[in-house]
Amino acid sequence: MASIDLDKMLTKIKSTQWALSDIDWDAPGAELITEEQWPKLKDFMADLMWIEHVGARAFAAMAKKAPTDTLRQIYTYFHAEEQRHANAEMALMKRWGMLEGDEIPEPNINLRLVIEWLDRYSDDMPVYVLGTVVPMLEIALDGALCTFLLETVKDPVCHQAFEKINDDESRHLGVGFSVMEMQGRGKTFIGATKMLAPLLDPRLMLGIASYVPLLNKMRDNIITMGLPEERLYAAMAKFEKIGGRTEDGRRNPWFQVIRQHAKLVVNRRNRAYHVPVDGMVKLTGLIPRRALPAVPSWVKELTYQPTA
Amino acid sequence: MTTSSASPKKAPRKAATRKRSATGKRPAAKKAPAVKPAAVLIVGAGFAGLGMAIRLKQAGIEDIVILERANAVGGTWRDNQYPGAACDIPSNLYSYSFAPNPNWSRSFSGSEEILGYIHHLVAEFGLESHIRFEKNVEDLSFDEKKGIWTATTDKGEQFAGRAAVMAQGPLSNCSFPAITGIEDFTGHKIHSARWDHEYDFTGKKVAVIGTGASGIQIIPELVKQAGHVKVFQRTPGWVMPRPDFATPAWNKKLFEKLPASQQAMRNLLYWTHESMALAVIWKSPLTRIAERVARLHLRRQVKDRWLRRQLTPDFTIGCKRVLVSNDYYPALQKDNAKLITWPIARLSEKGIRTVEGIEHQVDCIVFATGFDVSHSGTPFPVKGRAGRVLGEEWQGGAQAYKSINVSGYPNLFMTFGPNSGPGHNSALVYMESQLDYAVKGIRKIIENDLKMLDVKEDVQRRHNRAIQKRLARTNWNSGCKSWYLTEDGFNATMYPGFATQYAAQMSEFEERDYEAV
Ligand SMILES: Cc1cc2nc3c(=O)[nH]c(=O)nc-3n(C[C@H](O)[C@H](O)[C@H](O)COP(=O)(O)OP(=O)(O)OC[C@H]3O[C@@H](n4cnc5c(N)ncnc54)[C@H](O)[C@@H]3O)c2cc1C
Ligand SMILES: [Fe+2]
Repeated sequence: MASIDLDKMLTKIKSTQWALSDIDWDAPGAELITEEQWPKLKDFMADLMWIEHVGARAFAAMAKKAPTDTLRQIYTYFHAEEQRHANAEMALMKRWGMLEGDEIPEPNINLRLVIEWLDRYSDDMPVYVLGTVVPMLEIALDGALCTFLLETVKDPVCHQAFEKINDDESRHLGVGFSVMEMQGRGKTFIGATKMLAPLLDPRLMLGIASYVPLLNKMRDNIITMGLPEERLYAAMAKFEKIGGRTEDGRRNPWFQVIRQHAKLVVNRRNRAYHVPVDGMVKLTGLIPRRALPAVPSWVKELTYQPTA
Repeated sequence: MTTSSASPKKAPRKAATRKRSATGKRPAAKKAPAVKPAAVLIVGAGFAGLGMAIRLKQAGIEDIVILERANAVGGTWRDNQYPGAACDIPSNLYSYSFAPNPNWSRSFSGSEEILGYIHHLVAEFGLESHIRFEKNVEDLSFDEKKGIWTATTDKGEQFAGRAAVMAQGPLSNCSFPAITGIEDFTGHKIHSARWDHEYDFTGKKVAVIGTGASGIQIIPELVKQAGHVKVFQRTPGWVMPRPDFATPAWNKKLFEKLPASQQAMRNLLYWTHESMALAVIWKSPLTRIAERVARLHLRRQVKDRWLRRQLTPDFTIGCKRVLVSNDYYPALQKDNAKLITWPIARLSEKGIRTVEGIEHQVDCIVFATGFDVSHSGTPFPVKGRAGRVLGEEWQGGAQAYKSINVSGYPNLFMTFGPNSGPGHNSALVYMESQLDYAVKGIRKIIENDLKMLDVKEDVQRRHNRAIQKRLARTNWNSGCKSWYLTEDGFNATMYPGFATQYAAQMSEFEERDYEAV
């Protein structure tokens, strides 16, 4: 399959935008959330919203490093669009009475570590590192979490919002995989060894150290909610399938790294991976909040209010 | 003076719309130009047009007509009267050396004071009687047989001259940008270059779109007045500290009593700015130093890391106009101000929708979005020899000889023509070289009674090949998008070199480069 035309994509992105005020957040249907569902859904939505927000920040970093002006602009839009997803998901939480007052839900400690890392180091990361991690996260969201959510939640406003979110997400994936292929095409980009060099960068190691337990923790939260594990496997298979659909895509060493890692994450039977990582989750849980620096100000840009 | 309109008030003024001239149904003036041509016809009464008239008069050419579409002189400085409007080149350099002003109140004077200086030029050099106001030129055509340029206005009036000077300004046309939904917005809209002095900002929610040279001057002033100001930024620019101070009284007295001291000051400023060329025009160690100065300025004034990131440019300094301000960053951090870097999706009835899904509702939108710059056309049709139309020839980007003449368009001179723009020095320094060059050409036409003085095609081609070669190595062509470049990245705006080099290029009028008839 040929790569998509990024210039056309940019035009399309610009001409198909939506806003929170396109949705009537007070329309009937909120009562369809069952009492039993409510507490789990609250945790789920908070996680989801934070993943979107963290994804947004990753796109901001990618925009700085984009190899072409078109891609820079696309990533700038994606940054804002992911923020829009987080805002819309917060608006749903507000609708369902899941926000205490005007408060943004607290990020868990693993998220805090990832936020901290993104704030400090993401701008220094080469675009191909984030460029592979982000599609993986998105496909997990798109393929597993969101479909699952829509199957469980009957509220029509939720469906309306996610229809829009998913439309955006499929474009993000289209661009994401296209770029992964471009990067696999060594001639235009860089050689494989050079591309893997950042693995030795202590800054990236820190990133991995905060990202790895986050994934395990989220996976556990999701499974508590009743998401069948197979869904995650299916999402990973999809990532492998699309990412590896061309020679170029398979040649991208970061695709290989992320693919292998994703397999480890979803396979809970692999004790060699999960025993130490689950240990890390426990360990990070012991980090006292006050040991962490104040949240960066980009986090405070989140809002559930359609107008400001 | 000598020129009058051929068929002035044939139709009532109001009826004389643009439409009519577009359909070509003009009064039959073309056939009967009972107009006695002036020696020189100048379009525009800004710094350039007025400076041209002054230099011509000083050279003994008095038969001059200036056509100005507005009802007052001043151009840029008449139109840009927004709060905070000021020059960003020190006034002692942003003024004419042949008309020094010892009384500049500040190192960087405000718009009103600059406009005052322009009015002073008009009075001091007796220009008023040459100016025809409310003459909006819509066509400029050359009659090869007679060697006469004729300007036709939107009302169908005609004026003729043996030589013509296009001094309509590079940044004199503006319009609201084509943002989706702009017609849906029901609040108040103001363009920075057409300020609405009637509008009261007190307590209002205001959006400013654009953070270029005008935006960063307006924002600090609006933050003082308005209830809340949201600043919508697409690309941050490099901002340098601005050494602005009031001129002490002794200084004014010194300049007045001892004009040589002011000349010395001007020279000092000139060379300081010349040295900036090394940082701004080409990538050199000085470029890095200039970027470091700007970064330090940002770091000193902005403590929040994310805000600093939002304000840090990611293009080489000089690729776009370098900004200067001391109060822009502090203003953004006031409680009633906010910088928004989300892309704009569209305007709506009540405000601005950005891509993060939020509608920012405001009472008024200030568009500091710059000007309509024509890189590849002319602001009105210009017709030369054998029916040539300049706008058509310039489709791929404007080209001229030494920025001032174009082959096939004899006896026509342009100020701020192709590749005459300064990135680091006063526009008026460049302008003075252009004016003096034009005077030389015009004198030749008049003294030798020439019908045509036309630059040779191959001379012009050679000149442009050299210019574009040099431009390829500059920061402007280093990959950022700016109003200096056409959509295809062709640079028809900037001069790739020092002002001194430009002055040298303009100092000789080589007769052999021209065909004289
Ligand atoms: C906000 C702002 C700040 C600036 N600051 C600086 C600075 O600090 N330093 C610097 O070097 N440069 C600066 N510039 C650039 C500035 O434009 C030039 O320095 C200079 O003022 C241009 O003079 P001009 O006479 O060529 O054009 P203008 O001043 O624009 O004058 C052109 C005149 O022609 C008239 N006109 C236009 N079209 C027609 C027509 N079709 N028929 C009849 N009349 C017409 C216009 O009404 C206008 O009066 C600044 C520009 C702006 C907008
Ligand atoms: Fe998303």
